[in-house]
Amino acid sequence: MSTQPVDPQLRKTGIGVVGDVPWGSHFFMFYETKEDLLDTLVPYFKAGLESGELCLWVVSEPLTEEEARNALRKAVPKFEHYLADRSIEIVGERRVYFSGNDPDLQRVIRTWAAKTDYAVTRGYAGLRLSANTAWLEDKDWKAFSDYESEVNNSISRWRMTALCTYPLAGSTAAEILDVTRTHQFAIARRNRGWEVVETSELKQAKSEIKRLNDELEGRVIERTQQLAAANEAMRKEMIERQHAEEALLEAQAELARVQRALDMGELVVTIAHEVNQPLTALVTNGNFCLRRLEGVTPNLDELRLAIAEIVSDGTRASAVISRIRRLLVKGALRRTELDINRIIQGVSILLRTELKRCHVSLRTKLAPDLPRVAGDQVQLQQVLINLIMNAVEAMRLSAERSRKLLIRSAKSTDGVLVQVQDSGPGVEPGLADRIFEPFFTTKPEGIGMGLSISHTIIESHGGHLSLASSSAGALFEFILPVTINE
Amino acid sequence: MSEPASIVFVVDDDPSVRRAIKRLVESVGLHVELFGSATEFINSSRPDVASCLVLDIRLPGISGLDFQRELVQTKNEIPMIFITAHGDIPMTVRAMKAGAVEFLTKPFRDQDLLDAIQVGLERDRVRRQRQAETAMLRERLESLTPREREILPLVVSGLLNKQVGAEIGATEATVKVHRSQLMRKMGASSLADLVRMSEKMGIAVPETHRPS
Repeated sequence: MSTQPVDPQLRKTGIGVVGDVPWGSHFFMFYETKEDLLDTLVPYFKAGLESGELCLWVVSEPLTEEEARNALRKAVPKFEHYLADRSIEIVGERRVYFSGNDPDLQRVIRTWAAKTDYAVTRGYAGLRLSANTAWLEDKDWKAFSDYESEVNNSISRWRMTALCTYPLAGSTAAEILDVTRTHQFAIARRNRGWEVVETSELKQAKSEIKRLNDELEGRVIERTQQLAAANEAMRKEMIERQHAEEALLEAQAELARVQRALDMGELVVTIAHEVNQPLTALVTNGNFCLRRLEGVTPNLDELRLAIAEIVSDGTRASAVISRIRRLLVKGALRRTELDINRIIQGVSILLRTELKRCHVSLRTKLAPDLPRVAGDQVQLQQVLINLIMNAVEAMRLSAERSRKLLIRSAKSTDGVLVQVQDSGPGVEPGLADRIFEPFFTTKPEGIGMGLSISHTIIESHGGHLSLASSSAGALFEFILPVTINE
Repeated sequence: MSEPASIVFVVDDDPSVRRAIKRLVESVGLHVELFGSATEFINSSRPDVASCLVLDIRLPGISGLDFQRELVQTKNEIPMIFITAHGDIPMTVRAMKAGAVEFLTKPFRDQDLLDAIQVGLERDRVRRQRQAETAMLRERLESLTPREREILPLVVSGLLNKQVGAEIGATEATVKVHRSQLMRKMGASSLADLVRMSEKMGIAVPETHRPS
């Protein structure tokens, strides 16, 4: 059997859609008419003859040897010459496939091999073959399919091209699949033209792949290493990104905290100064009066004057507080339609790091599809942050180890209800009435404005902030009216 | 109208606070003068009597602490009592270090302010007395002749007349005359008295003549 290396030179098939193929090409076509066969096989053999190949055309129904010859004669100018020097043989299927009454496929394979050897030794470029299978009977199908498979496996090593033609009529789906499996590609008629349908083309490339295998394997290993390195780099980058993201969130929370502290600090200074001035005058005048009253004959005019100033300074102090509260609440009020759940989620994210730092676990139970509320996003955030930070501080001051914070949103008859509940010690019953008063605080460092301002903010939104009764911890809740489209 | 024995100056931007402080301080018989700003105070002509300054640390224009530094730099050593609505520890430390008498947080206890004022006035009285004394001594020092001025540090350092004479190239008798003139002009009743005065005036005693 000829096993010389495959000639890299491509062979012209003469079939437009197929173009050039390498030696060892094994393809097939399903035909319906005689014309289908002549359409492809005449140019196929013409190209073969003109390329110096030994040609072997095995014909069967519906084509006769005579018809094949005549068709070629018309197409190939020097056909008689080729026929004479036996460059082309046109034979009936019986002569090739059958030994007596039965097909002998092993002999056929040997024939192909021998013919190929013969072609090469006689100076032909190689063997060009076309065979028809119209003779095939169902009982022989399996054996023939195996034979085709063997041809397909062997042909890559031979200087041979083979075009097998199958009658479409009568082919079952299973048979079509078999044919497809045992050839490299197919030519099919579609829209009056011919098209190449690629099938098991990989088989053709098998020897090539084998040759490249070592190199490829090396490249695969190299590439795998590169990919692994790239993966590792990407993983590291992702971790870095994640760290950066966490750091960003932390920084944001820190910023919010610092901002709040700064705002509060500024506020403390302002309030302290603004309120302390009238208070100082008031206390000093009060003390003066007391001193005078200890005397034997107090000067009433003098006292009256001092007391009048006490009254006026008291009024002034309260005006300062109102002014500051107005300032805090009124500052750039912007009403928009808001989704309270989104605000809760935003604040949760903002305070995530802070909560983590204080070992507080936050749970949110947010009712879906809540109606929107009209409000100032920043102010409502401020209220939530204040309630959450109060809760956090209350829990930090208590000895209770488990620190849980629950934020709930729900629909209520009056609008949208938001609850902030902690697992701290709760508010002492006696203080419940006073916690919303300005400057009232239970915190060592507190200035007692947070809840007072929050209360004012919620009221200015037409809602209500209150301390609800709770079995555990403190439960603050506020209700915001729902937007009514006017 | 005769000059008061002492004056309390109050600088606060709040007229109501100023009036209340004036009322309180006057109730213990002290004279009070009010100013709305540090500039007003600086530009005022003040009688030369024992005084102290009650000052809000947050003043419009110049802050109380800067004002204090300025006064210290210009050798105006009037005792200061700070009152503030919002004093933090660093602020207090700074004020006290720069010589403040007291640092009170508004609203303050009336007695605390009055006590601080008494301390301030007393401190100013002592300071004035010391200043007057130094001024007087300087005047006396000026009246000395160059020879007397020359032997003063030598006498103070404890040298005997004979030694002083050797030092300046004069007889013991001459030194004795100069020395008695010196003592008389300076108003010193004893050598110890003269030594004390020299210390007050910062007269340097020559190292080599220090009694060992």
